[in-house]
Amino acid sequence: MNALLAAEDVKAYYSSSKGLVRAVDGVSVDINPGDVLGVAGESGCGKSTLSNVLMMNIRPPLRFLGGKVLLDGKQDLAVMGREKVKTQVWGRVITLVPQSALNALVPTRKVGAFIKDVLRYHLKLNSREAWALAQKRFQELGLPVEALTKYPHQLSGGMRQRVVISVVTLLNPKLLIVDEPTSALDVSTQKQVLKMFLQLRAKHIVRAIVFIAHDIAILRQIATRITIMYAGKVVEVGPIERVFQGSLHPYAYSLIHSVVTPEAEVKERGLSHIAGEPPDLLHPPEGCRFHPRCPHSLPICSREEPPLIGLGEDRFVACHLVLGRH
Amino acid sequence: MDNVRLNVRLVVSAALFLAVVLFGLAGPWAYPVDPVSRVGGKLQTPSWEHPLGTDVQGRDVLAQLIHGTGTSLSIGVTASVIAVAIAIVVGVISGYRGGLMDDSLMASANVVLAFPVILLLLVAAVFVPVRSPMVVALLIGFTSWPGLARAIRSQIMSLKEREFVFLSRMAGCSGVRIAFVDLLPNMMTYVFTSSVVIMSAAMLAEAGLSMIGVGVTKGTSLGTMLFWAQLSDAVRRGLFWWFIPPGGVLTVACASLLLLATALDQLFNPRLKER
Amino acid sequence: MLKVSDLTEVYSGGFLQRGSVMAVDGANFAVQEGETVSLVGESGSGKTTMAHIILHLLPPTSGKVVFEGRDIWAFKTKKELKGYWYKVHGIFQDPYAAFNPIYKADRILYQVFNLMDRGVRNRRRLVREALEAVKLRPEEVLGRYSHQLSGGQRQRMMVARCYLLKPQLIVADEPVSMVDASGRAGILKLFLELRDLYGTAVVFITHDLGLAYYMSHRILVMHKGRIVEEGAPEKILGDPEHPYTRKLIADIPLIGRKWEDI
Repeated sequence: MNALLAAEDVKAYYSSSKGLVRAVDGVSVDINPGDVLGVAGESGCGKSTLSNVLMMNIRPPLRFLGGKVLLDGKQDLAVMGREKVKTQVWGRVITLVPQSALNALVPTRKVGAFIKDVLRYHLKLNSREAWALAQKRFQELGLPVEALTKYPHQLSGGMRQRVVISVVTLLNPKLLIVDEPTSALDVSTQKQVLKMFLQLRAKHIVRAIVFIAHDIAILRQIATRITIMYAGKVVEVGPIERVFQGSLHPYAYSLIHSVVTPEAEVKERGLSHIAGEPPDLLHPPEGCRFHPRCPHSLPICSREEPPLIGLGEDRFVACHLVLGRH
Repeated sequence: MDNVRLNVRLVVSAALFLAVVLFGLAGPWAYPVDPVSRVGGKLQTPSWEHPLGTDVQGRDVLAQLIHGTGTSLSIGVTASVIAVAIAIVVGVISGYRGGLMDDSLMASANVVLAFPVILLLLVAAVFVPVRSPMVVALLIGFTSWPGLARAIRSQIMSLKEREFVFLSRMAGCSGVRIAFVDLLPNMMTYVFTSSVVIMSAAMLAEAGLSMIGVGVTKGTSLGTMLFWAQLSDAVRRGLFWWFIPPGGVLTVACASLLLLATALDQLFNPRLKER
Repeated sequence: MLKVSDLTEVYSGGFLQRGSVMAVDGANFAVQEGETVSLVGESGSGKTTMAHIILHLLPPTSGKVVFEGRDIWAFKTKKELKGYWYKVHGIFQDPYAAFNPIYKADRILYQVFNLMDRGVRNRRRLVREALEAVKLRPEEVLGRYSHQLSGGQRQRMMVARCYLLKPQLIVADEPVSMVDASGRAGILKLFLELRDLYGTAVVFITHDLGLAYYMSHRILVMHKGRIVEEGAPEKILGDPEHPYTRKLIADIPLIGRKWEDI
């Protein structure tokens, strides 16, 4: 069975006055139906850029420099042309909830009016049908139907976020991409929003989710697979439990052990801390991008970039140390 | 790409304005004709001797234009400096202190804003019948500060809740120091751009006031030229060499200043660059 | 050492004083020397307001803040205030807003010499030492402007400011929430070192119960301006009493245990 969306060796750079910032530099990702793929990494590792690349939302100063983005194994979005992607793919097949989306609602329109417009335009429904569909969708997702009659500022932050999510998934897109959807929300609201994502998948409103976050604990709760990125590259991929219990790449290991949760085990083992700063993507280091900060770096690490190798059972790692062992 | 567009705008507007300035400053040296004495016949059309002809009293129009431009420019600069200085003091104190001080300063700003300036000047005209350019500059300056003061005040009010202000306070810096050393410099680009706009408005104000007789009465300015031209029915009589040049120079000066202001805005605020 | 009694802060807004908000509602707590106390609450719980009152940045509507036996809001002279700030200092959440963009970043370090005696020599050496204590290389940050530094570097400079002062109490308002999860551990370690080396007490304000659990001797849970529960970290996590605390704990994503109700 083909992956729902498969990115093969995609490269996207930002052109700046100082040169090319290699934000996404040869990344391959695949998303299968039923997946909740978590994408984790420090800020600046390229995960937000990746979300734009997966949708082919490329605008200057971002430039797409190579690779394929295959939909259902057949269509390559990278060669489709922006207009076609905008009208045929966005909203209908792939949709994105970007960061700070809770401010994305037009403040002068009532929520329900806005949703009705979207439905009438895309699904060619009349006013009554659109309203009925909007109500039905809200009920399905556990949102209070009264919210449809309110203005955005009358709703709480969490409610607005959930409304935005329901709007972008109105047309039942196959893939939902979300970028840090809960970082501005408090803990209880966050849980409600995460619950909503899983509901969307359970009710087959969306088939798969790509969830970008820097808080690994959230991913632990809702993701099925996880991809860890560093400095524009993928360093480890795998099913969530396996990666958490036994991560192979030194960076992935440090990342997972640097999260602070109120658990006795965490307090006991202490927090890991990676010294140094992520590299400047204008001039990334030679060889493995993590080698200057890696406690286990070998001589080869500063010369050759480790390729992302499959170890079977959906496990992938890009590390010379690991490759040597296997 | 838009760097090029920005630079063109910046260069063109600055060049135009500098040309006007040069005209006003260097003109008397390059064309040393006395603007106030009679040098030729009345209402002569432009000729080699008098490139812009003469007015109803036989004075050289080009000489008047040159001196008038210099005068109007200096009124514009002076009024702008006065208005900006008052606006800074009022805006900073009002925004930083708040409370009763803020309320009273803003009340006075509203009074100045709402008060009909013409009325003020008519009254002034009675008490100060002979008004030099400096007097007019003062009057315009003292009535042009409220808008900028309000803007400064609101920026100060939002900036003073920023963490760096808390840190300065905890380092024992006094309120005055924080307001003028920490906060004000953050707004200087805005203040500078505003001063350019105020200068343009001041020059237009002077022209309008002088043209109706309540502005400059001693000396020559672009406005006084228009006053005399209008008094002699220049438009109906088709005396184009007399009324078009002052208006033209004024237009070029003010338009170039405003264009400069938009170019500066874009320069200081990269987010405003067009795609 | 520090005692907060019946502290109340009411913000009144609106034209005719309508719509007032009670940000802090009769709060009471104390901090001993060398103790790390966490104030845990969501946004709107009043914790930042509390921090500002304690740091003498915002006057309370009623109530007292007593430090070493003296009511800080009864200070009359500049000298008393400066003396207070020398002993009680703040670290804030936003590494971007903490620096005045038109000045060099190290200004926030040099500023605090204003709180010390005039005759402090070797200012540059002291600044360098403070930077090294927070694991920043002086060459990397001195002379730079804040926009040239990363978020983590900026927060470390804020901690370096405290190393210069060596205050008795630091009030840290969400010091790591705007730093990446992977960078937080480093900064938290700096707080712990300050505590171990100089016996600095910390009032650690955060919405993240995990951080509170890791860092503190005592946790105070704030909700709508009131302190609803207080206790040792293990007790609060293992046996929470107040319904708000219980809900908070149930909703935190953990690594060791998965939610069942999602």
